[in-house]
Amino acid sequence: MKSRFSLSLLILILSLGLMLAGCGGGGGGDKKPAAENKTPIKIGFFAPVTGPAAADGDSVTKAAKLAVEKINKTGGINGRQVELVAYDDNLKPQEAVSIAQKLTTKDGVVAAVSGSYSHTTRAAAPIFENAKIPMIAAYALHPDITKGGDYVFRQSFVGTAQGKAGAFVAVNMLKAKTVAILNVDNDFGTTLADSFTKYFESKGGKVVSRDKFTMVEKEFNPVLTKIKQLKPDLIYMPTYSGTGAQIARQAKELNLGIQMLGTEGIDSTMEFLKVAGATADGIVITTNLNRESKLKATQEFIKDYSEMAKHAPDMVAASTYDCFMVLAEAMRKNGAEPEKIKDGIYKIKDFEAATGIIKGYNKLGEVTKNVQVQIVKNGAFAYYGEITDAEIITPPDK
Amino acid sequence: MLVQQIINGIVVGSVYALTAMGATLVYGIMRILDISNAGAYAIGAYVAFFFLLQTGSPLVALVTGVALTAVFGFLVQKFLYAPLMNKSPNVSLIAGIGLFIFLQDFLRLVAGPQARELNFGTLLPSIQFPSLQLTLYGTWFLILAATALLLLILWLLLNRSPIGLAWRATAQDLETAKAMGINTNRVVAFNFILGYGFAAVAGILVGILYNSVYPTMGDVPAYKMLAVIVLGGLGNPLGTVLAALVIGMAETLIGGYVGFFLPRDAIAFVVLILILLWRPQGLLGRRRSS
Repeated sequence: MKSRFSLSLLILILSLGLMLAGCGGGGGGDKKPAAENKTPIKIGFFAPVTGPAAADGDSVTKAAKLAVEKINKTGGINGRQVELVAYDDNLKPQEAVSIAQKLTTKDGVVAAVSGSYSHTTRAAAPIFENAKIPMIAAYALHPDITKGGDYVFRQSFVGTAQGKAGAFVAVNMLKAKTVAILNVDNDFGTTLADSFTKYFESKGGKVVSRDKFTMVEKEFNPVLTKIKQLKPDLIYMPTYSGTGAQIARQAKELNLGIQMLGTEGIDSTMEFLKVAGATADGIVITTNLNRESKLKATQEFIKDYSEMAKHAPDMVAASTYDCFMVLAEAMRKNGAEPEKIKDGIYKIKDFEAATGIIKGYNKLGEVTKNVQVQIVKNGAFAYYGEITDAEIITPPDK
Repeated sequence: MLVQQIINGIVVGSVYALTAMGATLVYGIMRILDISNAGAYAIGAYVAFFFLLQTGSPLVALVTGVALTAVFGFLVQKFLYAPLMNKSPNVSLIAGIGLFIFLQDFLRLVAGPQARELNFGTLLPSIQFPSLQLTLYGTWFLILAATALLLLILWLLLNRSPIGLAWRATAQDLETAKAMGINTNRVVAFNFILGYGFAAVAGILVGILYNSVYPTMGDVPAYKMLAVIVLGGLGNPLGTVLAALVIGMAETLIGGYVGFFLPRDAIAFVVLILILLWRPQGLLGRRRSS
C-alpha cells in the first residue's frame, strides 16, 4: 500500500515537473523571437554499426561525429549548435523503418542522414518523405530511394549513373571489348551490374559471363578458374571490400592476369587495401573521393579524419561527411526548418565538398558531380582520371 | 581446368570438414547442436591474430589460439551446458545461439568491426603448372595436411584408445556408461576441449587462407556446419568428412562449370535438400527404427 502511494506521488511530481518544463519552454518561445532560438538543431542519423557491415558503420559514424564537430566549431547554424541523434540499424530494413519512425515522431529531428546501405535506406525513405523531413542518403545507390518524393536526396551517384561510369571507364580508359562480371547479389551489385551491361553493350562490348555471390562469400577460385578460360579483357566487380579483397587475392594466386575494375564498394582503406595487400595493385575503381584533389574541403576532410580515426578515410566516410555539410549549408542559407532545409538543398549550386564540387541536385534529389576514377598504387588509392562528361554524370530525373 | 576445380573442391571440403568436426563431436555425445562452436572458430582466429601481432611468431599464434580456445570450450561446457544438461535440448540450443551472438559482439567491441589481416607470411610457396593451367596454393597444402593429420589423430583416439572406448560408450548411452563406472563428466569435458580445439584450428586456417579475421566470420560456418552435420548423419565423424567433401565438391563444380547462377551457399543447400530427399538419415546415418 505504502509503495503504491509513493509511486503515485512520484508520478505526480514527475508530471508536474514536466508541465512546468513545458510551460517554461513555451513561455521562452513567446518572449524571444524565433531568430534568437539557441536550442540545438537535431539531425538524425542511422548506420549499420553492428552486423555484417559494421566496418562501414564505424567509418560513417566517425565521419558523422567529425562533421557535427566541424559545423559546431565553425559557428554552428547561425549561432545554434547541431546535435547528432544516431542509431544502429544492424543492416536490417525492419530496424531502419523503426529508426525512421523514432526519428520523425519522437526525436524531433529537422533532417536526417542515412549512413546505411541501399536496402535499409530504401525501407526508411518513404517514412521521411511522409513526415516531410528531408533525408540524404550518403552512399546507398539504389535508384528507387529518391523516387518517393521531394524530401529524399542522394549524396553519391545513383547506381545507374555509376554503372554507366564504370562502363565508360571500361570502354574509353581500359579499352576493354569483353568483360566478365562478378557482382554481389543485392541491390548494390545488381543495379551496378545491370547499368554497366546496358552501356557497355550499347558501345559494342560483350559481357561473357556474370556470376553472383552473397556479401559473406570468400571462395572465388571456382568461378575465377571458369573466367580464366573465357579470357575476358576485364573483370567488373561491383561488390564490397571483404569479397573484393578475396577476388583480388585469388585472381593473383591463379595468375589470372586480367585487369580488374571495381566500384566505390571497395573504396576502403582498412578492409580492402590491407587485406588484399599487394594483390590490389593496378585495380581501378569508380568512386567519389579523389585523394589528390586540390579542393580545400577535400584535403581538410582527409587530414581531420585521419587524425581522428588514425587511418585514411574511405568513400563512405567522405560521402557521409558531405551530407552534413550540405545540410549545414542549406540551413545557414535558408533556415533550419524541415521544409526550408529541403528547399535550401535544391538551391545549392557549385558547393565545395569533400567529394568534389557539387553542381546541384535535380528534381529527384540526385546529386550531380564528377565521377572519380582511382587506381591502387603501392597500397593506396591514387588519381587515375575524372569523368566530367555530362552524358555520364548527369543523373536521371525520373 | 577439371583438375583445378577438383582440387578447389577438395580444399573447400576440407575446410568444411574441419569446421564441422568440433560440433560433430559435441553432437555425438551431448546430442546438442552447439552453435557457439562457430563462435569458438572466430575466437580461435582472433586469439591467433592477437598473439601474432604481439609475438610475430606463427607457431606461438597457432598454439595459443588452439589452446586458449580449447580451455574456453571447457568453460563453456562447465558453466553453460552442464547446468542445462537435464533440461530439454531446445534450452541448450537457444543458450548456444545466445553465446554465439554474444561472442560476435564481444569480438566487435574488443577488436573493432573491421576485417583484419591474419598474415602468417608465405608459409609454403604456391606452385604453378602453366602447361596444365594449374595453380596450387601453399596454404592449400597446409589445410589438407592439417585436416588429414587431425582426422587421423581423431580416428586413433576414438578407435584405438581407452578414452575412445569411454567416449563411444558415453555417446551410446550416458546413463548406462555412468553406471558402468565411466567418468562421464570427464568424457564430456574432454569432448568439448577437443571440439573447440578443432573449431580454433579451422578458424585459424581459414583466417590464413583468406588473410582476414573479422567478428562475423563465424556466421557462415554456423549454418554451413549444420548442413554438413545433418548430411553426414548427425554426430558421425566419418559422415561429416564425407558430407563436407560432397558439399565442397558440389559447390565448386557447379560454380565452376555453370557459374554462380545462385550464391554458392544456395547451391550447397539445394544439394543438401536433394540428398536428404534420397537419404533422410544422412549419408552415413542409421535409419532409426520407429
